[in-house]
Parts: sequence; C-alpha cells; structure tokens
Amino acid sequence: MGDEGAALVVMTGVSKAYGGVRAVRDVDFAVRAGEVHALLGENGAGKSTLMKVLSGQVAAERGEIRIGGEPVRLSRPADAQRAGIAMIHQELDLVPALSVAENVFLGREPRTRFGTVDRRRMLAETRRLLARSGVRLDAAAPVELLRTGEQQLVTIAKALSLDARVLIMDEPTSALSPPEVEQLFAVIAELRAAGVALVYISHRMEEIGRIADRATVLRNGAVVAEFDARELTAAQAAEAMVGRPVHLMFRADSRASAEPGADVLRVENLVVRADAGGRPPDGISLRVGAGEIVGLAGLLGSGRTELLETLFGGGPGGHWSGQVLLRDKDFHPRTPRKAMRAGVAFVPEDRRLSGLALEHSVLANSVLSIVDRLARFGVVSARRERGAARGSAARLGVKLTSIAEPVGALSGGNQQKVLLGRALLTGPALLLLDEPTRGVDVGAKAEIYRLLGEIAGEGVAILLASSEPAELVGVCDRVVVLRAGRSVHELDTGSAGEAELLAASMGDVQ
Amino acid sequence: MTEAPPSRAHGLLTALFKFQSLFGLVAVFVAAVVLSPVKGGHLVFLGSGNLLNVVRAISEIGILAVGMTLVILIGGIDLSVGSVVGLASVGVAELLTVNDWGLVPSVLLILALGLVFGLAQGIASAKFGIQAFIVTLAGMQVARGIARMWSDGRGVSIVYGDGPRQAPVTFSLLGERTFNGVVPIPALIFVVVAVLAVVLLRVSAFSRHLYAIGGNEKAARLSGVPVLRVKVLVFGLCGLLAALAGIVHAGQFSFGGPNDGAGFELSAIAAVVIGGTSLSGGRGSVLGTVAGALLVGVLDNILQLNNVDSNVQLVVVGCVIVFAAGLQRLRPAAIRT
Repeated sequence: MGDEGAALVVMTGVSKAYGGVRAVRDVDFAVRAGEVHALLGENGAGKSTLMKVLSGQVAAERGEIRIGGEPVRLSRPADAQRAGIAMIHQELDLVPALSVAENVFLGREPRTRFGTVDRRRMLAETRRLLARSGVRLDAAAPVELLRTGEQQLVTIAKALSLDARVLIMDEPTSALSPPEVEQLFAVIAELRAAGVALVYISHRMEEIGRIADRATVLRNGAVVAEFDARELTAAQAAEAMVGRPVHLMFRADSRASAEPGADVLRVENLVVRADAGGRPPDGISLRVGAGEIVGLAGLLGSGRTELLETLFGGGPGGHWSGQVLLRDKDFHPRTPRKAMRAGVAFVPEDRRLSGLALEHSVLANSVLSIVDRLARFGVVSARRERGAARGSAARLGVKLTSIAEPVGALSGGNQQKVLLGRALLTGPALLLLDEPTRGVDVGAKAEIYRLLGEIAGEGVAILLASSEPAELVGVCDRVVVLRAGRSVHELDTGSAGEAELLAASMGDVQ
Repeated sequence: MTEAPPSRAHGLLTALFKFQSLFGLVAVFVAAVVLSPVKGGHLVFLGSGNLLNVVRAISEIGILAVGMTLVILIGGIDLSVGSVVGLASVGVAELLTVNDWGLVPSVLLILALGLVFGLAQGIASAKFGIQAFIVTLAGMQVARGIARMWSDGRGVSIVYGDGPRQAPVTFSLLGERTFNGVVPIPALIFVVVAVLAVVLLRVSAFSRHLYAIGGNEKAARLSGVPVLRVKVLVFGLCGLLAALAGIVHAGQFSFGGPNDGAGFELSAIAAVVIGGTSLSGGRGSVLGTVAGALLVGVLDNILQLNNVDSNVQLVVVGCVIVFAAGLQRLRPAAIRT
C-alpha cells in the first residue's frame, strides 16, 4: 500500500463483443490499492461489460488482466472471487425466497462440527455486517419481502463479507435514500483506508466529486478521458461522456410562468388497510393540477411507490378510507386497466422487472397499452401499429435501428423512453412516474426532463416519485414529502432547495 | 446508442433459429425421401396417399398442439388435454348412440364441455394463483374419471344407421376422405384449425396481449392488459380444441374409449417444443408447432416404412426433442444481460 503509484488491478487491451456488437474495445484500465476509481459513461458505453470481464462473468476476447502484478485468467466468477474481486450489481442477484443471512452466505455457509449449516453463526455474522454498513434490517427476513433499496443494501453487505481486495460497485446508490447513501460513503472511506481498490460506477455526478479519487470515462466501448475526480466538474464529465457539450438544465424555463389548471387529482386523507406487503398510504393528502409537475419525496419505505401503485389500481388492494378524486369524480381503480381507462398512466420503477418484455420488439412494447384501441373488431392494423410506435419513438427521440429490434437491446435511457412513450400513447390526463430516470445516463436524463416539461405544457398532470433531491427540486413545481405512509410536508420549489427537501424527508421539519 | 447495425449474417442466423422447425422439417423430409423404400419405380414416401396419411396421423396431436401453443405462449402448460380427448371421445359416442342425440347437438355439447372445462382450469390457475401445472394435473385426473364414469369404464362402439342407438351416418365422414377421396377429413380439420390459429396470432389484439403476458406478465398488467381474462380464455380455447380432437378421434375409429388420448398431452407438448416455442412463454408460433408436429409425423412414417421397431421410433423422437430444445439455447443473444 505504501507505494502510491502501484496499481493493484491492471487491464490492458481488453475487448469484448456481443453477437457482432462491440461492447468494449481495446480498453486499458488500472486501479490502485486504496483508491476509489469512478467509471463514467452513458448507458451502453461499456462500463458494465468491462466490469463483468473483471469479475469473471464474461470472458474477454482479447487483453490481459493483472492483479497485484500477477497475470490472471478470469473465465468464471469463482476465478475472480479467488483473486479477491467482488462486484455489487446494478441488477440484484439475490435469491428471493432465502433470508438476508442465507443470501449473504450463499454457497459458503459456515458449518457446525457436524457439517450442518451453522445458522446461529450465520445470523450473528450477518447482523455484524449489516451494522457495519449501518443497515437496520432483520437478518432472518426473506429477501423477497424487502423493497428494492433494502435489497441493494443486502448485496452491499454481501460484498463486504467477501473481504475483497477489489470491490466493484455498479450504481450502488440508485435505490438508496440520502441517509443510506451517507452510510455507504462512510463504509467506502473505511475500505479505502484499508487499502481496498474500489471501482465506482454511477450516474450521479455529485457523488463522484465527493468520494472518487480518479475518474475514467468510456464512450462507445473505448476510454476517451481520464480525470482527477476531485477537480472534475459535472459539465466536463458530461461532455466527455456524450462527446459534445451538454446543458444540464432540467426543464424549459419558459414553463415556469405557466399557471396550474384545474385539479386533475385530489387525494384527501387516503388511508389503505392492506393485507400484505409494503407501506400502504396511511394519511396522504395532495393535489395535482393540469399542467403541473408535483414531486413525491421521501426515504425508502416512506410509501412513495405504494401510493402510486394504489392510485393505479396495481397495489395489493385492501380497504380504503378517505377520498380520491380524478377530474372531480370519485376514483377507486381496482385494476391497472380500469385506471388506464379513466385516464391515468403509470411508468413503474423497475423497467426490467415490471416495465418491459425485454425479448419483445420495441414495436410490441410501445403499443401494448393501446393495441385494443388500434383494433377494429379485434383485428389490429399492422400499419397503424407501426405508425403509432414510430411516432412515439420519434417524439421521444428513441435511438434505434428498427422498431423490430428487441427492446432489451436498447440502452437504459432508450428503454425508459419506450416505457414513457407507451404511457403517453394512452393519452393520459394524469401521469404517474416512479423513478423515471433511474439508471439513465446524463444525456437521456436531460431529454426526459425536457419531455416532462413538454408533456406538462400540454396540460397533463404529472406526479413524480424520486429519490434524487436534485431531480425533484429541478423538475417539479411542488414537492410533497412522505414519511411512514403520511404526507407530512409540502415545499414550493420556487423558494425551497435540496437542503430543505432533505431536511423535511428526514424529519427535521416540524 | 451508437452501435453497429447487426450484420447480415447475424440476421440470417436469427431467422434460421426463429424458424428452426421449418428447416428441421425440410431436413427430415429430404432424409425421408432418400431413405424411402421403392415400390414399382416410385418412392413410397412421396406417394400422395402416404403424405396425406402423415398429416392424418398427426391431425389429433396437431389440433391439441395448436391449443397447447397458446397456453405455453402465456407461460402456462395444460396436462389435461389427453384426458379431455378421452372424455370427448366417450362423450360424443354415448350421446350419438345411447342417448340418440342428433349430430349437431352432440358435437356442440361436447365442444362446450371442453370449453367450460378449460375455462374452469384457467380460472383456478389465473384467478386463484395455483400453478397451471398443478391445476391441469388435477384436471387430467378429473376428466379421465368423468370419462370412465360416463360409460361405466367400457368403450362405446359407434354403429351408423337410422335406427335406435345408431349414430347419424354423417359422423362417419370423420373416417373418410374428401376431394375425390384424396384428403382425409381429420387432416382437413387440422389444417383449418392451424390456419385459423395462425391468423388469430398474427392480426388480433388478443394475440398481442397473449404474447405480452408470456413476455412479462407484470409489465403486461401494468400496461392495462386484461391478464386474467386473456389467460382464462386461452385455457378455454385449449380445452375446446382438446374436445374437438376427441370428437375427431371417436369419428376416425368409430369408437369412443374412456382411456383414449392417454399421453397425447406429452406428444402435443413435444410438437410445441420442437416447433421452437419457449416453455417460459412469450416466444414461439403456431406455424412452428405445425412444422414440429409434421416433423414428428414424417419421422414416424419413414421409420414405419422401413419397418423399424416402434420402440426405436420413441427413442428417435425423444432425441429430436432434446436436440431441438438444445438448438434454441444456441440462439444468438439479442438482448443485453
């Protein structure tokens, strides 16, 4: 560790292609011990592929990898584990039915003298690991009962338990609340001090500036720039990633003056007594006017997602009290289909899990919500279908070679646009968005913000749940703060900033 | 995203895998021509009588496999179709002879029975969230039990005529050939069913919903697809087609046996799998299934023509299933992982 210049990981001339598509070409990449090295790039730039090569999940076609000076062959994840490399994935690789502890120790469970699994030690170890990363979770709880963000915390604890020399984190904060992010940063600082080499992939520039030492930018599978991360500005990074100057502004300022129209959605003291899972609304009041973008803030477990699901008829159901009015009419949807008919559209949080059929074409995914409307006597006109899909892709600026290609072949940002396009094709009066820019690169993010402004400008009411304070403050007209299933505060973003929002989320506001 | 567009070779490869069963069918067909015994200077295999016999031989399994394709496309499975064949076969024989019902009411009632049986399984599976495998495993027992109760466990011979306990002569057409005695009626029925299903899956809004459910059920639901309705209907259609196959079966053999159709469900699933439809749902086609069923039929036929032991045939078909499924695993990955 003493030698500052000694690189622990050295990748030289690494290349990898998927079915004729070059994902990574001729990349040189090095990480020192005790360094946090940020890896930046738009989705599809090759970051994940490069790290999958390093963690032994995919084999490189060309190139050399040295760990601590020794050349290594990483053709299987076990090889990487042996070399002391661990990775925290963006997609969660947990077994849903197993407990937190069983997941953390999956495949290397501690044994008793009799060769059976030592459950007590496993639980105790897990509690210690969770405590180290500052997580309050029941080590014995099945992972499937946890929310996405909590599951992410489990994967972090799991990676820590490996005592790795090289730790790769692929967007570890994308589902975390601000206090959890702070906790993670504390852990990262600890690891760095202990001489671990850390690779940190994130789209959040403010995080890079805070914790990274160096930054490497990938574009189209190749290294295009290297920076000292502490002196890196968001604009510089974005320009290197996209290849041209980017304006990181949120929405068209021309909209700021627009007066909100009549209330499209009014929720009065909504309480849902649900029989299963999550945190159902427990006293929520809010309203969204036509042409208005209202944010939903709150920490993990505050009930943001559950509120949106309830409003879309997609929640677990249960007994309602309080009132929901959609365009001044009583609204209590029991299925998403009914909600959609009433003029509500929803973009879910996890596009891979609940948004898209990844193997199906962009066409099929785009028009899914309106195929029966495009049909006459049950027969769909292929021409109208294609027209609708092309129109949607053009309006949202989806980059694709053909609408017949599988949506899973698109980058994250473009997938998100397809999803948004599908919601818009239904012609909604109220648009519900759950983390609309999660895992989306800077360029696409800016475009989505611009689109949201445009959509609101057409009189659509938008309710946007997000865990990114900058997004809420930058995009929304007002932000409603949820805590433990209740709406506890409302901020006007004209006068309040990120700091006020964070304070309100965490409960520092009376 | 700035990716190179997929190369032409890549596109060709994708198409090859997409229609693998069609190419497989062509390959098996060519092999059959080569291996065909010669009689009087003509290849026995290529005789029109023989070729139509192939289609006739697979017509019942083919009809079942069309329904099975729909169920598998939504990520389900229907193990009950073989038993429903038995139920429909014995039922239509009983109604036509013992009950002296007319042709139309008997056939309609049995078709309705199959439909309702399928709908019930669909409701049990989709509404109450019991796995389709389990529901239809139970349905398989139930249908077989009802079939045996209906005829007290005996087979029912169908005698044609105008007298009491005689079936209308029209029903015997199922064992005949049409178009100057060339085309077997069951083969014709199979072709019509297959064409209707291909058209349904190509143009209907229903089919878009069906594929979407198989591709990602949660996403389909959140996109406003009436998931419950589509799933129940698909199971209903599968039951309806199973009843149709049972009626064809009874007609072909002028006999309704309560144990008829045992194991047909597995042959139908085999045809679907060889046809390239993914058991996890969302990907596949009826055309593939038809090719898969024909492939098995041609294989059986050529082995028979060469007097190969029927047990060897089973082994060969088994190997083809594994080969076809294995081939699907080699498909070039189209999506990022």
